Parts: sequence; C-alpha cells; structure tokens
Amino acid sequence: MNLTLKAFVKKELTQALRDVRMRALMFGAPIIQLTIFGLALSTEIKNIKLAVFSGPGDAMFGRVADGFYSSGWFLRAGHAPGEDPYELIASGRADAALIAPAAGLARSAERGGGRMQLLVDATNATKARAVEAYARNIIAAQAAREYGARDDAALKFDVRVLYNPAMESSMFLVPGVMGMLVCLITIILTAMSLTREKEMGTFETIVSAPLSNAEVLLGKTVPYILLGLADAALVVAAGYLIFGVPVRGPLWQLGLAALALVVTTVSIGTFISTVARNQQQAMLGGFMFLFPAILMSGIMYPVENMPRAVIAAAYLDPLMYFVRLIRNIMLKGGDVHVLWANLGALGLMALLAAGLAYKRFRQTLN
Amino acid sequence: MENFSIRTENLKKDFGAVSALNGVSFDLSAGLLHGLIGSNGAGKTTTMRLLAGLLRPTAGSVNYFSGGQPAAFADLRPALAYMPQQASLYPDLSVAEHLEFFRELYRLDAATYAARSAELLEITRLAKFRERRAGQLSGGMYKKLGLMCALLQSPSVLLLDEPTNGVDPISRREFWELLYGLAAKKILIVVSTAYMDEAERCSRVHLLDAGRLLASGEPRAVLKEAGAANFEELFIKKGARV
Repeated sequence: MNLTLKAFVKKELTQALRDVRMRALMFGAPIIQLTIFGLALSTEIKNIKLAVFSGPGDAMFGRVADGFYSSGWFLRAGHAPGEDPYELIASGRADAALIAPAAGLARSAERGGGRMQLLVDATNATKARAVEAYARNIIAAQAAREYGARDDAALKFDVRVLYNPAMESSMFLVPGVMGMLVCLITIILTAMSLTREKEMGTFETIVSAPLSNAEVLLGKTVPYILLGLADAALVVAAGYLIFGVPVRGPLWQLGLAALALVVTTVSIGTFISTVARNQQQAMLGGFMFLFPAILMSGIMYPVENMPRAVIAAAYLDPLMYFVRLIRNIMLKGGDVHVLWANLGALGLMALLAAGLAYKRFRQTLN
Repeated sequence: MENFSIRTENLKKDFGAVSALNGVSFDLSAGLLHGLIGSNGAGKTTTMRLLAGLLRPTAGSVNYFSGGQPAAFADLRPALAYMPQQASLYPDLSVAEHLEFFRELYRLDAATYAARSAELLEITRLAKFRERRAGQLSGGMYKKLGLMCALLQSPSVLLLDEPTNGVDPISRREFWELLYGLAAKKILIVVSTAYMDEAERCSRVHLLDAGRLLASGEPRAVLKEAGAANFEELFIKKGARV
C-alpha cells in the first residue's frame, strides 16, 4: 500500500477507535438500532383493543365476539354498561367497537340481514385497514361454522409462500434496516471527519504537505470505506444471530453490494463536507440526504406504491438498489438477474458519486 | 540544501468586498530569519497563505527563486513547511503518533526519521511527553509540537504563522531559541507576529498595517530611518491603528 494512504488509514482508525463514544456509535449503535427496528418496525398489526357491545342473551353474537378474541389479533377492551362506543374510541380506550344489532344477531340473520356494526378508529389508516381485513376473515369463518362449511367451490387456491413462509416482517425489514444503518454511519462519519479537519485547521497542514489531491482524498475516504464494510459485516452477523435472517446467497455478492454502497455513501459524505462549513452543517446535510433516501428506498414502504414522480426520484436513490440487492441475496439466494441489474446501477452511482466528490473536493482545495 | 528566496510584487488579495492586502512588495532573501510584523488584521496570515501557495493573489505575484534563478512553486513545494496559526494538530493523537503521521506524509525513510525525530524531541524537550495526547499539552508545548511536525521534513523554507501567539513569556523565549538554532542552518524562515518586541529578534522585518507595507529591512536600520526608539513607537508614528 502507498505509504501516504497507510498513514491516513492508521491515523483515521486510531482516532475513530480510540474514542469510546465513536466506538459505541460505530459498533454499538447499529446493533441496538437493528434490534429495535427489527422488533418494533413490524408491519403486522397486533394488540387491537376491541370493545364488544351486545344485547342480553345474544348467544350467536357472543360466539362471533369469541371468534375475534381467539384470533390473536384483538385484546379485550372493557367498558361500563351503557357507555357510548364513540366515546370509548375517542378516548383511546378502544381501537374498534363491535356492536350487536338491537334485536340480537340470530334474529336479524333470519330476517336476511345479519348486520353488526364495526366502528374502527382510522387515525392510523394502516391499522384500520388491517382491522377491517381481520374482521372480514373472522366473520366469514364464523358464518361457515354457523351455516355449515362451503368447501365445495370449483376454483380454489393452493397457496405456497416462498422465501419467508411464516411471513415474518423482520425477514423483510432487517435486511433493509442493515442498508439504512450502513448508509447512515458512513455518510455521517465521512462528512464529519472531513469538516472536523477543516474546523480544526488541520486540513490546512495536510493540504500544504507535498501530497496530490487524489492522495489527500483517498487518505480521508479509504479508512471510512473500510469501517463501513466492517459495519456491514457486523450488521449481517447481528441480523443472523438476533433475528435468524439467513444469508442464502453467496458472500461475494454481499461483499460486492456492500462495497458499491459504501463507496457511494462515502463519496456523498465527502461531497457534503465540501459544502458544509462546520460539523453541525455536515450533520444536517447528511440527514437532508438520508431521510428522503431512506423513505424512498423501499425499506418500509414499497416503491411501487409511490406516485410516479417519487418513483423517478427513487431511481436516483443508491439505498433503493442496495435494499433490492440485499433482500435478493439474503432471502432469495442471489438471483443473478436481480444481482447484475441492481449492482450495475449501484456501481454506476458509486463511480458518479466518487467522480463528483473528487471534482468538488479539488475545487474547494484550490 | 537549496538556497530559496521569495519576492512579492504588488501583492493584492480581496475577499469579496474586503481588501486584505493592498499592493505589498518585499524581498524574502535567502538564509535569513524574516519577521512579518503587524497588529491583528494587518494581513499577516493572508500573506503567509499566499506565500505557501494556499491562496491565489487577486493581483500582483509571488515569485520564487532557487539559487538566485527564478523557480516554479512546484520546485519549492517539497521543501516548504507551513505551520498555520490556528490549532492544527489532532487533540486525540499523541506526540509520537503525530510524528509518525507526518513522517509518512513526507515519505521519510526509517533511518532519516529516527535520527530527525530524536533530534527534534531533544531540542524541543518534548521527549518525555511522547505518549501524551496533543489535547493535553500546554500552549507552549503544543506550538513546539506543531513546529516539530513542520520541521520533520527538514524544509528549506519555513513559514510560521504567529507561532508564539498566546504562549507564555518563558515558552516564547524558548521558542525563539529554537528558531535561532534553525536560522543558523541558513534556511529561509518567515515568522509572523503581533508582538513588537519580537521584531528585534529577526534579521529582517517587514511591517504590515491594514494590508499595506509600512517599512521593510534590517530592524535597526528601519527604526533609525523612522527615528523611533522601538517598533511600537514606529507603528504609532506611521499612523498605524495599533
């Protein structure tokens, strides 16, 4: 290795690893965040508080209500007799209320309209949709039990869920969150480290030393590429150990994808540092990139659901390609078509970002 | 060792609407200890950074000479060391780690490095603080470490921007002893300072005020010509805003 590069790598790593807070930020925080996100960012809606309002002696309605509670999605929300269901939802003591018809469910069903009322709190639209879907399934199952099963349909599904048979949302989310964490850490660290040198005046010393621009730039970025790759490996290991997220594809694919992402993000961090005057600005600049990049990456919301203009912007988001890549590698075993298309796009971005960062970097030096 | 000298001609530098230097011409003759004297805001740092090639002049020029013959900045650059005015060391790295880092920046081989770092630690009397982090050094020791990093490559041209600013009188005197030692090696040293008493320690002085050159030459000759007993008086006589 070039001696100058070695000097920088040694210096940056010494500085980064010496500080306890930096160590915690680089290696502790990703694991904690991965765990929290993996557990908390569940797309399954559970623990819905359901209040049931039934007339006296309505046995059939009671069985429907039991169907709800035994499904595992709903919790019992108690209420005083004669309380207004709207009041219950407004005060947040219930997320949904199931109300029996005044005449009793069995009788109203005989009259040809077995209608119960379901009030759903839709301040969280995702949750409300989930409640509605659960309720339909439960009612259908209950109707089949009451009036005899009708399993004689001519057309039926035989569903097999591939790659994530238990449909655990952590399988889907954890790889995405890994990409997000690596992206966050590399951008912030690179941008901060370069602006810190500018702030402290040490940058002037380095620039006045007989080094070429490329040597200074490589010296300040290569250490963060190495740290970023180390973090990627750490997060993959943590995902496997904590959530059992498998790595079904070959490791070289994972390595290439991580390298392409880290080169891109470190270049973006460098670019931010050429614009920012101090570390606060670098931090804010980093987040200005990170928030849209994370939201448009498809980690939490499918890109396909977004408006056309946002989809167009998402195609400029390096994290989107990485998330596709890593899900493909970890869950599907690394289909080559998905691999080369996305790796190509991400690699192109890495080159562009690095070129742009180098150009800006040279301009600010002179 | 090559014999470098520098001459500035009608040097001007504007930062937006602010004019930092307004037509400054002086000679930095080879092998001497030059003082760039002036109060805060006189244009010392701007001049230093122009000399170090970190800024480009708005007008005028900085001309470099090697052995009396015009030379390109690129020829001089490997032999030039510049110590900026602001704190320019890494507070979280130790004295030894700084030397290691700069050794590799200047691409010194192991033998040269070993000899030179031992010599520098000796003359700066920092040898017993090798493992101490820069952030925990006193003001004087910190400046000495900065000087050591600049001297590690044995420069032929040494530019020191306010090296004694904010340093206690005893450490200042020690620092000047160090500079005398270096001056004896006949390298071109340029020191900027706002301390008027330090002007008399230089072999040549260049007095700056508000971006203009007030006087230039051998200290006693400059004082005599202005009819002043010392440099403070001289600055006041010349109507400088000291």
